[in-house]
Amino acid sequence: MALRDRHWRDRRLADVLRSGIVKPLLPAAACLALLAAAPTPSQAATLTVGTSAEPSALDPHYHNLGPNTRARKHVFESLVSMDAKMRLQPELAESWRAVDETTWEFTLRKGVKFHDGTEFTAQDFVYTVCRIPNVANSPSSFTVYTKGIAAIETPNPHTLVIRTGKPYPLLPMELSTFGIISAKAAGGEAVTFDKAGCKADSWPTTQAFNDGSLMIGTGPFKHKSYTKGDRQVLERNPDYWGPQAAWDTVVFRPITSDGPRVAALLAGDVDMIESPPVQDIERLKSAPNVSLAQAQSNRVIYLALGVQDTPPTITGTDGKNPLKDPKVRKALSLAVDRDAIVKRIMMGVAEPANQYLPAGFYGNNPEVTVATDANKAKQLLAEAGYPKGFQLTLGTPNDRYINDDKVAQAVAQMFTRIGVQTQVDATTANVFFSKRNKQEYSVFLAGWGADSGEMSSPLKALIATPIKEKGYGTTNYTSYSDPELDGMLDTALATVDDAKREKLLQAAVKRAVDADIIIPLHYEVTVWAMKKGLSYEPRADQYTLAQKVTPAK
Amino acid sequence: MSSVAAKAPAVETPFLRLAREYARSRTALAGLAVLILIVLAALLARWVVPQDPYDLAQLDILDGMMAPGSLGGGGWTYWLGTDDQGRDMLSAIVFGLRTSLLVGVVATLIALAVGVAVGLLAAYAGDRVDGLVMRLVDIQLSFPAILIALILLALLGKGVDKVIVALAAVQWAYYARTIRGSALVERRKEYIEAAQCLALPHQRIMMRHLLPNCLPPLIVVATVQVAHAIALEATLSFLGVGVPVTQPSLGMLIASGYQYMLSGDYWVSLFPGLALLVTIVAINLVGDRLRDVLNPRLSH
Repeated sequence: MALRDRHWRDRRLADVLRSGIVKPLLPAAACLALLAAAPTPSQAATLTVGTSAEPSALDPHYHNLGPNTRARKHVFESLVSMDAKMRLQPELAESWRAVDETTWEFTLRKGVKFHDGTEFTAQDFVYTVCRIPNVANSPSSFTVYTKGIAAIETPNPHTLVIRTGKPYPLLPMELSTFGIISAKAAGGEAVTFDKAGCKADSWPTTQAFNDGSLMIGTGPFKHKSYTKGDRQVLERNPDYWGPQAAWDTVVFRPITSDGPRVAALLAGDVDMIESPPVQDIERLKSAPNVSLAQAQSNRVIYLALGVQDTPPTITGTDGKNPLKDPKVRKALSLAVDRDAIVKRIMMGVAEPANQYLPAGFYGNNPEVTVATDANKAKQLLAEAGYPKGFQLTLGTPNDRYINDDKVAQAVAQMFTRIGVQTQVDATTANVFFSKRNKQEYSVFLAGWGADSGEMSSPLKALIATPIKEKGYGTTNYTSYSDPELDGMLDTALATVDDAKREKLLQAAVKRAVDADIIIPLHYEVTVWAMKKGLSYEPRADQYTLAQKVTPAK
Repeated sequence: MSSVAAKAPAVETPFLRLAREYARSRTALAGLAVLILIVLAALLARWVVPQDPYDLAQLDILDGMMAPGSLGGGGWTYWLGTDDQGRDMLSAIVFGLRTSLLVGVVATLIALAVGVAVGLLAAYAGDRVDGLVMRLVDIQLSFPAILIALILLALLGKGVDKVIVALAAVQWAYYARTIRGSALVERRKEYIEAAQCLALPHQRIMMRHLLPNCLPPLIVVATVQVAHAIALEATLSFLGVGVPVTQPSLGMLIASGYQYMLSGDYWVSLFPGLALLVTIVAINLVGDRLRDVLNPRLSH
């Protein structure tokens, strides 16, 4: 032992370094050095982001899911994009116009290069639209956004003429949802569009994107490497057509637990994190080296009241469903104190909601209001024939939305106060959604993020009568059906004139909120926390885009 | 626990002797006193605390997340603060203790009954029955209790009754193994042989002769297992598979306060955690002392 000790002492420092004992510490030391050397991040060209969820694949068309789209937007671009307030912006299309009710013309940007150096042309768009329905095992396909397209013509490589079967005002918005891949890289230069299904020998596999071989887009970053569960590394595209990103290298690290994600930021392991937990916001605000950015999101948290003939989770009413009575539904809406929920459960990091999209979004109706009045609620219950109330069970996920089960408990408390004895069934999201989709809850709490950023999205999905061909009622698990409201939506969705359509949607949302089927609770507020010295314009669509993160001047 | 011990030797003099023995350890006496206090508080919960935390109408969300010592809207002081739903922590802890004790004791009694029946039968019948039953016990004991309980609760759903079933299902094997061990020893003794020669019915031999003489180790195991059951219930509730969210037990209170710990709102997790700790330590102290007192090799 003593011999070995002396041997150890005799070794020189250089030997020790070479021996590798210190090697694991080197990256850490490098980080420390970086931190010390670069209090102004303008010199540091690497941005590390801790994300709250990881994409299920890098394939831009595999899964229509928030984290996937966030990852996609760095490498692949679309014809049209949305700005931080979800207004449409030109991206790969310089401009577009509606030639007539069913024909759109897009003028494509010239001189845009894919990461492999080839030029972007109209054929890449055609190939992308063709590939989207041909992704194997897609859990949630982008075909919902391409099925409106009836025909595509390419008079020249930089002009696209898209025809829709019927008037389709949402086309430009829907074209902002999917990224365009390179037809040449995938071997699809000869593929032509056919509504019934395009012909090709083979389609690119999701695996080819995940291993990086087909990660060839036009975006501000090139894909460098990807280790599932650990990190995705991107590097700047020096030939980007638009403004250059401030970062040479961007690292996205999924840190799905809230506590460790906050800790990683405070410890300096990452420069920026998505959605810190609401209870930590105060602490982060007072931390000296952290700044926050927050924006109202497009996601509304709501209660859905089911009007099934036999209520699945209501007792004390002799098998009748009290929620069929509009007075009872109004009473439940009046019972909810939205300000208290926002203040106590959401710690102020949310906004009380009176409809399905916040003010400023397309289709928001400033005349729609919801009230809180427990006495009026009791009175309405008595008038409806339930002076002693009834018992109900409220279903909620406990890991899907911010503080979801706590909000549900607060709602249960408020219902119980007006005489409706309420229990909460809080389960993990998978269990909750499968039970909800089988209509096993009379009342449930859930959320809806309008990815189109306008009012037709929640109305179509949550309250319209389920009609598969129209894509109506895809998330309507209340058995509610109002043909008049469906008619209003039909008219709105066939009106290409933006101002007229907004008026129609405003009328529809008023009718929907007044029906008290989907009771709005609050809009989630998305928060980003980052090292002081970085700035980020908070986005309503909740995406964290590295190209928009800038070192402060 | 002492009342359980009282029935064990079935005669009064040994009980007095045991009580005297037990009282020699001051720590054990203190543990017993704390335990009695906790049990009384839990039994009289409705009368000793200001709020019924399971009655949603009595909660006010506007009183949520108040620090210990704050004056609430209801006119009384929240000595231990409130949680995010405006639940008085003191009331919630006492009611949570009641749930924990109920689950612990009832689950232990059921497991004890099942385990004793199976273990005794195995020891008395011997041969194939013994081999079969004990391999079953071995298999069950080779899985962590928490894993089996999690799976059972995932299948059964939420509720106090379901937690009791799950805990009884994971614990019976301990008793079966314990009683089989002592029954195997007792079975070879002369009094059992005598009873067998008298051609007494098997049932009578097992219940009246074998069982009473196997009881002391069982009592010790049962006492410690109550503490174990309480800890297991707290773990399950912490993981969110135990009791419903509107009727929190100690584990669930700790879980709901856990995310506030880093933010400085310590009380939601800390006080239920302390209550759980004190309860389990008290039960273990009592159990340890009982083991010493009931062990013939250690006495005198």
